[in-house]
Amino acid sequence: MEVVQILVNGLMAGTLLAIPAIGFTAIFAVLRFPNFAVGGLMAIGAYTGLVANTMGGLPLLATLPIAFLVAGLIGVGSDKLMISGLRPSGPLAAAIGTIALGLLLENVLRFIFGNEFRTFNIPPVRDWRFGDLRVPPHQVENAAYAIAIMAALFCFLMFTRSGKMMRAVADNAALAGLKGINATRTTDLATFMGMGLAGVGGVLIGLDVAIDPLIGTRTMLAVFAAAVVGGLGSIPGAVLGAFVIGLGEELALLAVAPTYRTAVGFLAILLILSFRPRGLLGERRY
Amino acid sequence: MKLTRRAVLSAGVAMPFIGRAAFAQSNTIAIGALTPQTGAGGSYGPSMVKTIRAVVDEVNAAGGVLGRKVELISENDETSPEAGVRAARKLIDVNKVSAIVGTWASSVTTAVAPLCWENKVMLFTVSGADSITQLPHQGFIIRTQPTSKLQSTRIAEFLLSRGAKRTFVMSAQTPFAVSGFNTVNEVLTAAKTEVLGHVIYDPAKATFRSELEQAIKTKPDTIFFNSYTPDLTTLLRELFRLGYEGRKHTMAYAANAKLLEALPAEVTQGLTSMAPSPDVDSPVYKKVCDILGTSDPDPYSCQTYDHITMALLAIAKAGEASGTAIHGNVRKVSQGGGTKIGSAVEGLKLIAQKTEVNYEGASGPCDFADTGDIITCKFRFDIAEAGKNRLLGIS
Repeated sequence: MEVVQILVNGLMAGTLLAIPAIGFTAIFAVLRFPNFAVGGLMAIGAYTGLVANTMGGLPLLATLPIAFLVAGLIGVGSDKLMISGLRPSGPLAAAIGTIALGLLLENVLRFIFGNEFRTFNIPPVRDWRFGDLRVPPHQVENAAYAIAIMAALFCFLMFTRSGKMMRAVADNAALAGLKGINATRTTDLATFMGMGLAGVGGVLIGLDVAIDPLIGTRTMLAVFAAAVVGGLGSIPGAVLGAFVIGLGEELALLAVAPTYRTAVGFLAILLILSFRPRGLLGERRY
Repeated sequence: MKLTRRAVLSAGVAMPFIGRAAFAQSNTIAIGALTPQTGAGGSYGPSMVKTIRAVVDEVNAAGGVLGRKVELISENDETSPEAGVRAARKLIDVNKVSAIVGTWASSVTTAVAPLCWENKVMLFTVSGADSITQLPHQGFIIRTQPTSKLQSTRIAEFLLSRGAKRTFVMSAQTPFAVSGFNTVNEVLTAAKTEVLGHVIYDPAKATFRSELEQAIKTKPDTIFFNSYTPDLTTLLRELFRLGYEGRKHTMAYAANAKLLEALPAEVTQGLTSMAPSPDVDSPVYKKVCDILGTSDPDPYSCQTYDHITMALLAIAKAGEASGTAIHGNVRKVSQGGGTKIGSAVEGLKLIAQKTEVNYEGASGPCDFADTGDIITCKFRFDIAEAGKNRLLGIS
C-alpha cells in the first residue's frame, strides 16, 4: 500500500511540475537557450494568484488566467529589457542573463512581500481515505486544472495559426523565416506563453505548499530536470519528464530520507545526459 | 617641524570634525541590540527591542552610567546567521559596542559568538542550544534561556504526564535538533514508552508532506514538533489534511499568536506548548507588562530587559565601559548576597554608594553558572483551544 501511496503522490507532483516544465521547454524550443528566469516568473505568478485571492477575494480558478497574464507580460517585458540584447552574444550569455533576471524578480518580491511564508485563503480539508491510501482533494483539483491547461495548450499548438507558427519556428527557424513567419512576434509569443505557464505553475504549486519568494527557485531544479529528461524543446517530453521526476522523487523515499529527495533531480539530469543526451522524446542533441 | 599658516588653517578647519568623532566614541556607552525583526523570530524582535530601549531611556533620564549617556544601536539579524554576522560586525567594528544583547535563534548566536569573544564583547543571548555555552567563549556569553537539555527533559516529562505512549519527533534542522531529540528519547524510553522515530527536516522547504507521512505510518499517539513558526504553520496544516487525531506538542516560540491567527482553530486545536516562564510574581515582570502594554509578555522580551540591565549594572560596578569590564562584573551584580534590586536605576544608585547589589529580573533570579548558563528557571505550559492559548500551568 505504501508504494501505491507513493505512486499517487508522484503522479500529483508530476502533474504540477508539468506546467512550468512545458513553459521552460517551449521557450527553449523557439529561442534555443534555457531561460532560468522561469523560477522567478513562477514566484511572480504565485504572488499574483495570492494577491488576487486573499486581497481581491477571487476564487482560485479566476486567479489562474490573471497569473498567466501578469507572468506572461512581465516575462516578455523583462525579456525585451534585459535578455534580448544578450541573445546575439550566444545562448550562454542569454542563459546567464536569465539567472540574474530570476534573482532580480525574486528580490523584488522579497522587497514587497517579505520573506514570510504565505498561503491562499482556502480552508484546509481532510484527505479522502481509501483504506490506508490518502488522496488530498485539493491536489486532485490542482491536477485537474493542470490537465485542462495542458489540453488547452495542445489545442493552441495544433489548431491555431499562432501555435502552428511557433511549432514551425521551433522546428526550423530559417525555413519558417523564408515562409514569411515574423520571428520577433513568434519569440515574443513563445516567451509570453512560456512565462505565463510558469506563472500558472507557480499558483498551482503555491496552492499545494506555502508561498515565499523562493518558491520558484526551489522548484526550478525539478522543472529543469523534467525538461532535460523529456528532451529540451519537446513539449510532450516535458510532460513525460515531469512525471518521471515527480515519481522518481517520491519513490526515492523508499530508500533515502526526505531531506535527500532533491538529489533525484540532479541524478536524473546526470543519467540522461550521460546515456541519452537528447532526452526521452527529444529529437536532437544539445 | 615648521608651523606654516596653511597647516594652522588646515588644523583649524579639521578640529571640529576630529572633536565630534572623538566625543562620539567617548561620551556615550554603546550597547548593541541584535534581534530578529524579520524571519522566523520576527514576531519577537520588536518587543525585545522595546524593553531594551525602555531600560536605556530610563537610565539616560536618570543621568546615564558613569556620567555618560547610553547609546543603543539596534540591528536586525533577520533570524539568519549570515545577516546576524554582518550586523554583529557592524556593531563591533563601527559602533564599538561593549555588549550585544538579545540574539534569539541558536544558529545566529552560534555564528555571532566567536566574533564577540575574539573582540572581547559581551554577548547576552536568549538562545537555547546546549552547544552555545560549550563553545570556547572564555566567559563572554551569558544565557538567560535554559539549555535545550533542561527544556527537552521538561518537555518529555510533560508528554508523559499527558499520557504519551508512542511518540514521534520532528525537528527543524537546528543546532539543538539532535541533542534535543536524544534527551527526549532518553526520558521517554526510561519511562518504558516508545519513541517511534525522528525526522530532521529542512525548515526552508515549502512542504513537509513526505516527512509527515513517514511519521503517520508509525501510528504515533503524540508528535513533538521541535519547530519554528513558519515551518510549524505548514506542518500543522498538512497534518490536519492527513487526518491525524493524536496529541501534538511544540515549543511556545513556535505556537505563538501569529501561528494561531494564521491557521483555522480546528487545525491548532489541542496543540500544547512549553516555554521557559518569566517570574510572573516579580515586580520587574509587571514593569515589562507595562512597557509592552500587555498582561502576558513573551519570555524573550523579559530576558532582554534583564540583559541590558545586567550589562549596565556591570559597567557601573567596573567603573569602565568595555566587554571585559562586563565580563568580570556581571555575576557581581546579578548574584550573591547583595541588596536585591529590580531595576537598573535603583542598582546604579546603590553601586554609586559602594553597596553590593543582586539583580533579580523579569525572567527569574538571573544567577549564572561558570559556563554562562542560567541556574534555575520555571516553565509554563499552554494548550491551544478555539484558536487561543490557555495556560495549563507554571512549574
